[in-house]
Amino acid sequence: MRRRAFLMAAAGTALARPSRAARVAQGLFVHDSPRPVPPLDIRDNRGQPAGFDSFRGRPALVNLWASWCLPCVAELPALDRLKPRIEAEGGRVVALCLDRSGAASAVNTFARLGIVNLEIHVDFERKAGEVLAVPVLPVSLLLNARGDEVARFVGPAEWDGPQALALMRALIAGHPLTPEMAPPLVKPTAAP
Amino acid sequence: MKRILAALVLLAGTCAGPAAAQELTGRFLLETHDGQRVTDASFAGRVRLMAFGYTFCPDICPTTLSTLSSALDLLGPQAADVVPIFVTVDPKRDTREHLKEYVSAFGPAFIGLTGTPEMTDAAAKAFKVRYVLHPPMKDDPDTYLVDHSAGIFIMDRDGRFAAKLGHMATAGDVAERLAQVLHDQGKPR
Repeated sequence: MRRRAFLMAAAGTALARPSRAARVAQGLFVHDSPRPVPPLDIRDNRGQPAGFDSFRGRPALVNLWASWCLPCVAELPALDRLKPRIEAEGGRVVALCLDRSGAASAVNTFARLGIVNLEIHVDFERKAGEVLAVPVLPVSLLLNARGDEVARFVGPAEWDGPQALALMRALIAGHPLTPEMAPPLVKPTAAP
Repeated sequence: MKRILAALVLLAGTCAGPAAAQELTGRFLLETHDGQRVTDASFAGRVRLMAFGYTFCPDICPTTLSTLSSALDLLGPQAADVVPIFVTVDPKRDTREHLKEYVSAFGPAFIGLTGTPEMTDAAAKAFKVRYVLHPPMKDDPDTYLVDHSAGIFIMDRDGRFAAKLGHMATAGDVAERLAQVLHDQGKPR
């Protein structure tokens, strides 16, 4: 992880000068040790609490997205396909919407995309980005059964491919994750 | 703790001192997402909270505008004296319609500004914001990446540079600086 992060950072600095903020290292970042996730007020579409506590005990992928973020919206269908496969094996797939308008916006986006499996989760106090140290979207957190963050994927990924399945299975089995397990990044395309 | 705060305020004061203010003119002539032609003088009397960027982020999107909108929430009723402004550095793809839809996601007060490439260039220079439009990818002339220097600008009621915060600043940081600028200048004249 360290080496990879360093290489990515080095590649970043080698690029054109005005690249400080927009050039963020993307890919899978495995933490040296699991990090506790701070409490967050997460609600479902009826305004009921649906936070990390509600799925502790099951390893989870928690995807942070917003309706104004094109790559986030573009990867939701893949997460929707991943969810039933992973949940049958004991994991959880959660899409946490960071929109200001909350559930209404998430419901509309899901309807537009024909999302059938993902449930509505909203960042009720709009603190997730700050509390989870997420300055860019999309970001997917990988939590172990204790609810601690063991890794995060920065950027859009091919979540319905074989690599993502293998990664999630390793997470569910409690095996250590390695950077080689990263699912491929989705290449930028025209608007979804 | 108080002493540390005082030192920080002093430090921040040095960074945002008169020298920096002279370099950063903050002048612009652009068009709002509603097609209205505006200059920096159009917002006279209100503190401006500004960020540059582009809405068409095909690979990864900064959450800067979310931070600005949370900062305004933290500010409470005083937020009425602040105009949050987003200036696109990618006017070709960020059409007025697109910009309008985008900024509305962050709250009704947000104003999106765009213009011709020349107008955008001049505005970016006035804020010392650098940006690069990369060559298009594949065969699609509309698929390309944009690199830009990030940052959050606070301009005072007279349009003068008051503070610049990094893109990693928290909503609390931004709200605190805004409150300070509002307090220093008192009520609008």
